Amino acid sequence: MAVHTSRSSELARIAAEAAGADTSSVRLRLVHGPAGLAPDGLTRPLPAFDPPLHDLAQWPSDFWLFSVAGLAMAVCAWPTPATVFTEPFEVGAPQPTDRAETVAYDGFSVPIPGFLNEPNRRIDALLTLNSTHWAPSYRDCLVTGAVLAQICELAVERGHGPIVHLHTPVAPFVDQQVSARGDGSHERLRDAVGPCVRLSVAVNPHEPTARFDFEQGLVAIAEEYGLGLKLNDRRFNRVPGEWFSIRGFDRERYRQVRARMFPDTPMHLPKHAMIASVIGPARLGMAADVIARIRANGVGVLAAAVSSVRKVGFINLVLPMGEGADLGTPAWSGPWDDGVKLIAERCRSFDADGADHGDHGAFAGFKVALSQPMQCSYPQSSRRTGASVTGRVPYPLWLRWELPNRTVGSPLLLTMVRENLGLYAEHTEIAYAQARAGRGDVVRGRAKLVVLLAQPPRDVADAHAVLNEVAERVQERTLEQLSDMRLVGPGRVSLRLSPRERWLTT
Amino acid sequence: MRVSGRLTGSPGPAARADPFRDLRALIETLPVPSAPPTYTQREAALGLALMDLSLRLEHVPRVAEHLTLIDRGHMTRSVSVDVDLHAIAATQRRRIMAPADAGRGTSLWIPVSRYSRSDLAPVVVKDSTGVVVPRFTQRDSNRVTAAAFVRLLSMLIDAHRDVTVRDTVVHKLRHTHQRSRWLIEAAIAELVTAGSLPETGIRTPFDYARVAPADGGPGREVDARAIRDLAFAGIEELWPLDTRLPFAHLLGLACSQFMLVVLLDSAHPRRFLRWDAPLLPAHRPRAPVQRFVQSVLPVNREFVVEYETAIPRSVGAYHLTVEVNEEVSVRRFVMSSDVDDDFVQTLTQDVEMLAEASAGQAPHRKLLELELQGIASRLAEIGRRRLTDLTNYRRYIAERHRSLAATAAGSRAEGMTSDEVVAALGRGDCSVPVLAAFAAHYSADGMRHLARSPLAGVALRPLAAGIRHHQLGHDITTDNDPREHGAHAHWRRPNLDLSPHSTEPVRAVAYLSLADEAPALIESITRVVAGLALVVLGIGTLLTGGVRWLYSAQIAPDSIPQQADAVVAVLLLVPGLLIARLDLPSTHSVLGQLRQFQRSLAIASVVVTTGLAIAAGAVHTDHAITRAFQAGVAVLGLILLCCLLEFVARRARRRSPVPRCARLPRWLSVAAGRPRRPRAPDAVFDARGEV
Repeated sequence: MAVHTSRSSELARIAAEAAGADTSSVRLRLVHGPAGLAPDGLTRPLPAFDPPLHDLAQWPSDFWLFSVAGLAMAVCAWPTPATVFTEPFEVGAPQPTDRAETVAYDGFSVPIPGFLNEPNRRIDALLTLNSTHWAPSYRDCLVTGAVLAQICELAVERGHGPIVHLHTPVAPFVDQQVSARGDGSHERLRDAVGPCVRLSVAVNPHEPTARFDFEQGLVAIAEEYGLGLKLNDRRFNRVPGEWFSIRGFDRERYRQVRARMFPDTPMHLPKHAMIASVIGPARLGMAADVIARIRANGVGVLAAAVSSVRKVGFINLVLPMGEGADLGTPAWSGPWDDGVKLIAERCRSFDADGADHGDHGAFAGFKVALSQPMQCSYPQSSRRTGASVTGRVPYPLWLRWELPNRTVGSPLLLTMVRENLGLYAEHTEIAYAQARAGRGDVVRGRAKLVVLLAQPPRDVADAHAVLNEVAERVQERTLEQLSDMRLVGPGRVSLRLSPRERWLTT
Repeated sequence: MRVSGRLTGSPGPAARADPFRDLRALIETLPVPSAPPTYTQREAALGLALMDLSLRLEHVPRVAEHLTLIDRGHMTRSVSVDVDLHAIAATQRRRIMAPADAGRGTSLWIPVSRYSRSDLAPVVVKDSTGVVVPRFTQRDSNRVTAAAFVRLLSMLIDAHRDVTVRDTVVHKLRHTHQRSRWLIEAAIAELVTAGSLPETGIRTPFDYARVAPADGGPGREVDARAIRDLAFAGIEELWPLDTRLPFAHLLGLACSQFMLVVLLDSAHPRRFLRWDAPLLPAHRPRAPVQRFVQSVLPVNREFVVEYETAIPRSVGAYHLTVEVNEEVSVRRFVMSSDVDDDFVQTLTQDVEMLAEASAGQAPHRKLLELELQGIASRLAEIGRRRLTDLTNYRRYIAERHRSLAATAAGSRAEGMTSDEVVAALGRGDCSVPVLAAFAAHYSADGMRHLARSPLAGVALRPLAAGIRHHQLGHDITTDNDPREHGAHAHWRRPNLDLSPHSTEPVRAVAYLSLADEAPALIESITRVVAGLALVVLGIGTLLTGGVRWLYSAQIAPDSIPQQADAVVAVLLLVPGLLIARLDLPSTHSVLGQLRQFQRSLAIASVVVTTGLAIAAGAVHTDHAITRAFQAGVAVLGLILLCCLLEFVARRARRRSPVPRCARLPRWLSVAAGRPRRPRAPDAVFDARGEV
């Protein structure tokens, strides 16, 4: 009963938000480009919306950025007045921006009140696909695609729940050794990115059998491929970022399976990749259908970022370009059927059966945006963190913020944090950021920044100390700047930057 | 005796009715519109914003209810709320803004409560200065609610994946066959305006008609039948059975409740509002045997009232104050809410699932360990919470009576080892002391590696049954009012909400036990009966010349009174004078109910003396008069005995550690020792339709 009541409240809230004359449709901008996108530059040039956004462009209600392997994508959304109805969801043609190799796609969506998932219980899982640093070969990409397809299907068929987030690569998590555990307030240094998949599935709290079936399915997949598996620690009072190890990574098993499945696929790193964004009204099973179809065309997945923005589902896949593929193809956007053919043409790296399993109607309304091929770059990181060896490896810093809507936009805030980190870091990159305006007209966001410290730490202990100090200083400096700018009243800003993910909730 | 579906998370009557059934009936009967409804976007936005705000009531941080029991079947209810407009986002404010008057600032329509459509008495809302606050009329409220649902329908159609696929039902509704859509919209508007149809009996005009079935073929598209059929198909397509419930729940609420919406000046964001809710009638559960026993036996009758209400989940503090007649005392006042019930239900389902999974192929060991650790940590948290409740309850009953203080102090449990705790849980013993011991062991790291413990196997099923049986999701709040004829409970939302995403209102039940405490009528009655017994004894002794008549079967000669008129006068006047001094209230009042048995005793004693007076005047033999006086004294002695038994029963009831109420959680009665069969309340007041 509580589920129904809460979902009816969610339905009323979504409808109420979309009912105003100025908020009855959603305008979107999707940007594909090389890594290093300046968040505050995403709206240059201004999207050509009718009616125009003008000042609103600074304050998207939703913001999402994902950057990996030298490629980046970003999404901004603005609730705007409606226009004459033609389609529930549309994506425009790629438009060049002020930045080289960067294109923007402007889109439109009607409000989608039918996709309800409150008060679902989130199951977070962290799958480890390798114990080395993140350097995926073509063969690894195919394995990643196969694993993603299986876990997405599992979430739908067994968990009966939508995938709220799915990201790969992400920061791996290494359990504390018993001898070094201390009181548990510390954790081992983490790599900024590693060959891991992190996903969050929303399941009905009153269907524990479905949840457990899904988890058992995850264990079975992990055992089949030799993957490491961690689930979110669901003991009372535990917070996101705390993991419970179910099984460790089995290197031999993984290699055997990889060799058996894709014996002839090359083992070197892809040099070029493109971003494929599949966009459509969010619904249960969207990610499973899309990834399965792409996999069926013999395309591997270098990186993935799946989430939804204003109930519009986004499946962003970084796909390695096939060897010998034309690297001069331009960016493209269009309907699903044409998009999947182009993907197969450009990125096929394995002669799959091409089996077209699945319902064609399942893809109705989906649009595809393809970037032009871009050169990949991979982070230098050691097997674990490398701090004890050179210290010159990227470290992750996690950021959480809460700001009143239409005071300081998330892109501007991220730019400020990045610039402040520049004082201490040789290189800073926003690996992941997502913010949305929610309850109480407050924008809540989370981000992961990757920093390469200017002064390499001597050892692990030094790296811990330096990262803590840098995070604290940058946090205070950003808060001071926000206060000086007088854009937002004192006491209405909450900002936390930390080298440990789980400290964000304290 | 237990009223099912209350405080157990099951839906109330309003929610049980299927609004889709009504919607279909209306689609079948309403005339097919030939033009779209004329709701403006502003009305739709206002309606949806009011619906959203009224479901969550996040701008109401505090609610207080003041109840006054006016007689045994009616209760007045005064509600006061604190309103904080800061909690409403700026975008929402724009939608609920009222058209500004010249020279005045902006005003906002703010929902402060919802109430049942069956309560049609006018409600006057006043602010802290006593000024009446303008209200939204029910007509306007209905119109904007209907506009809201029509807009929601339009959103669902526009977002449907078939909306651009030609010849599909949704495409027809949106583009080519709009009369069916208008018919659905008209049916929704009619349902919202007129409310739910009767559950049984005559529902629609079709119940009076015998309509011939359509002869073959689908007919023309302009036929009403084809339009209605497409509307039915549209409903099925837009709301498939598995995803229908959220919309159905919203529609059900809209056609069973009204929103109480007031106009507030946005320049004063923090306001205090007060209104008198419609008079609340009581429901009296059937319990004929119990009622008969209470009326004819000296059991120290209590008048038990149960008050059911719903507290919005976002409310931080809730006060419930009860006031009764000054001569009536509140013996017990306890409130129980289901604030943790959703959390405990999920926990129980997890345990049951694991029991089932463990019975088949054994799950992965680490997965099992994670599940068990999750269950154990939540069980420990519930144990800590209920222990706090139990401690507060024991303190409360210790303050009520000295003997109970000794009981509470003496209830210190013996410590349990972790093995004993696990064994007890495996037997389904989820009493608070066991859970508290479990929490202690858990926090002391005594519950590591549960997958290898006895808890992992067959113990899970009894554990789930134990959690369910003890109703661990229900908390307890006790009275803190020093007055004897008043009670007050202050419920606070826990600092850490265990169901943070739920917007389900918290259901609460207040148990109020009223009694006639000292100086009570029974004491006066006892004195009267004793006095009358002495009078009868004195007259008998004087007539027979000694006290032998009391215990001897021999008849004393010349016992006939010489002046019978004088004896009759004494036997009639003295009881009359004494009984006139007693306060015997109307039986319709609560006091009258409490004093029902005492009144019977008083009347019986007067009947005895009146009978003796008749005997004194009409009987002319020594034998008869002696036997009459002996019988009179015996009956008066029996009445006196009943008085004494009433004192004994009162003492026992005062010392009862836990009320015998089916609506209080079982963990409370289990903690008091031997659970006893619950008793039916005398009056149940249900205000759950009002949130």
